[in-house]
Amino acid sequence: MAQFTPLTVTDIKRDTRDSVILTLAPPPQSNGEFKFIQGQYLTFRRVFDGEEMRRSYSICAGVNDGALRVGIKKVDGGWFSSWANDELKIGDTLEAMKPMGNFHAPLLPDGARAYLGFAGGSGITPMISLLKTVLEAEKKSTFTLVYGNRSASAIMFREELEDLKNIYLGRLNIVHILESEAADIDLFSGRLDREKCDALFSCWIDAKNADLAFICGPEPMMLAVSDALKAQGMDERAIRFELFASAQPGRAKKKAASASAADKGAKCSATIILDGTARIIELSKDEETVLEAALAASIDAPFACKAGVCSTCRAKLVEGEVDMEANYALEDYEVERGYILTCQSHPRTDRVVVDYDQ
Amino acid sequence: MTDENDIFDYLSRGGKFSAPGNAPARYRAEMLRMTASFVDSELAGAAGFADCVNWGPGVKEKIAASRIVLEKLDHAERVLAIMGDFGANISRYESVHPWAARISRDEDIGVTRRAGDMRLNVFHYPLRDWVDSVVMNVMMGNATVIQLGDLQNCSYQPLGAAFRDILPRERRHAELGEEGLRNLAGRGGETLTKIDDSVNYWWPKVAATFGAPKSDRTEMLMRFGLRHRSNAELLEEWRDRMSVVLASAQGSRSESC
Repeated sequence: MAQFTPLTVTDIKRDTRDSVILTLAPPPQSNGEFKFIQGQYLTFRRVFDGEEMRRSYSICAGVNDGALRVGIKKVDGGWFSSWANDELKIGDTLEAMKPMGNFHAPLLPDGARAYLGFAGGSGITPMISLLKTVLEAEKKSTFTLVYGNRSASAIMFREELEDLKNIYLGRLNIVHILESEAADIDLFSGRLDREKCDALFSCWIDAKNADLAFICGPEPMMLAVSDALKAQGMDERAIRFELFASAQPGRAKKKAASASAADKGAKCSATIILDGTARIIELSKDEETVLEAALAASIDAPFACKAGVCSTCRAKLVEGEVDMEANYALEDYEVERGYILTCQSHPRTDRVVVDYDQ
Repeated sequence: MTDENDIFDYLSRGGKFSAPGNAPARYRAEMLRMTASFVDSELAGAAGFADCVNWGPGVKEKIAASRIVLEKLDHAERVLAIMGDFGANISRYESVHPWAARISRDEDIGVTRRAGDMRLNVFHYPLRDWVDSVVMNVMMGNATVIQLGDLQNCSYQPLGAAFRDILPRERRHAELGEEGLRNLAGRGGETLTKIDDSVNYWWPKVAATFGAPKSDRTEMLMRFGLRHRSNAELLEEWRDRMSVVLASAQGSRSESC
């Protein structure tokens, strides 16, 4: 099960008008659980108006920086990002899962590789982690970063990138593409689309001899860049994608309230049989699924997809009735025999008996 | 907030994910179903093949069979770890099925899935003896190589990378089988009849693992970028491959005659 650990906010740096960079400290007892690989992200949770929100933000630090940092850009209507930008204070704690994600390639300390990075907006955050780590660990490798933004004032990590360019002179090349500002050269203004990439690859960036490419930004930009790279002959396997945080789908919206007002908040007593043991739990008919309620009661019920497809959470309904939100897994004959997918089942009766052993 | 449809559009145009958090529920579900089928098949395959180790006529064959069992378990573990990233309850998963259980050899379960067990149906049938296990390994081993060849470019990049690592070892398993089959065919006589029997027995069962030629699910998996080639294309490649492999084993017979 997902484990959350409280991290203490030790520093908040306002980076642009609508983004902050947080430095976070794990508790001493976390035993290196927050050691990360470049390009990974943290998933935070917080309850807003009684509903738990989870949001993931890329770590924007090199693996040897000795600090855990995330950059959070305020998204219109985004509760979590607005809260982090406007209300969070030094000393507050944030609950986070240990670092996850696979937006990286194994480091080769003796390697002399040419990396390309393409970032759109806040897609820069994992790129900071990647380029800092790679340039430090692979002394002979080079990194070319193409970074698209609406305007110069929206550029995140602007100063830090300049500093890095000076530290890694000749090995770090940064190309800013700005949408709403005319640059001296047309090549550097506009959107990071296919045409722009083709133009960059024809005269400015040697994509043909690049070893690896990392892309993080909005979907159309990522597709345009990867298509352009493939047209330059880059192997698909050398292209790594990361959708940036704000593109992530939120929690599935609860089904529109079909339950009558009388049913609202009505409770059901459910008997859950697992491994030969029966336990009685109480759950809200219209809010929880049988599986959610069982897990919340620390019953080790089997599950995998929680989306009604894999059938791992299948159980037999011995008594009572349930509504299944979705069923992509059970055959008709199984449903007839009383099998249900507990991850999709809401009780309709005041009492149900669900048997995982049958 | 990006709409789920935008993400499906992104995937159908070749976009990829590297983090579970990016995956909409429907995608996550299909990916878990696909990975569960792989993991269950590897676990069930390994459990079934473990018995064959003792059937191996010589030490060399026993080593080959042991290696196949060991590596299939390792492959299951690798993919299971990815399922864990997607929220699957791994510890529960590993102990939930009797992986060595088989139905009777003559039962025909078609493509109906058995309760809660996602293994490919071919792994529900028992192996009969050493010849039978070698033939099955050759046929299903080649099917696995072809199926993984398609999955290695799947839109969830960590899974694609895991399949890419697994693929050469699965290929080696099939090659070990082919080597064994040539040796067996070289014996001629009764062994050849046994080989033919086994080929006839396993052929429709392995062919069924490619799925129906026209499948809505496969089309959806293709839209999600989890698959790239159709069931029919993959099946055809397997048939072609089988005719080469079986002809080569026949060749061993004529050489030794």
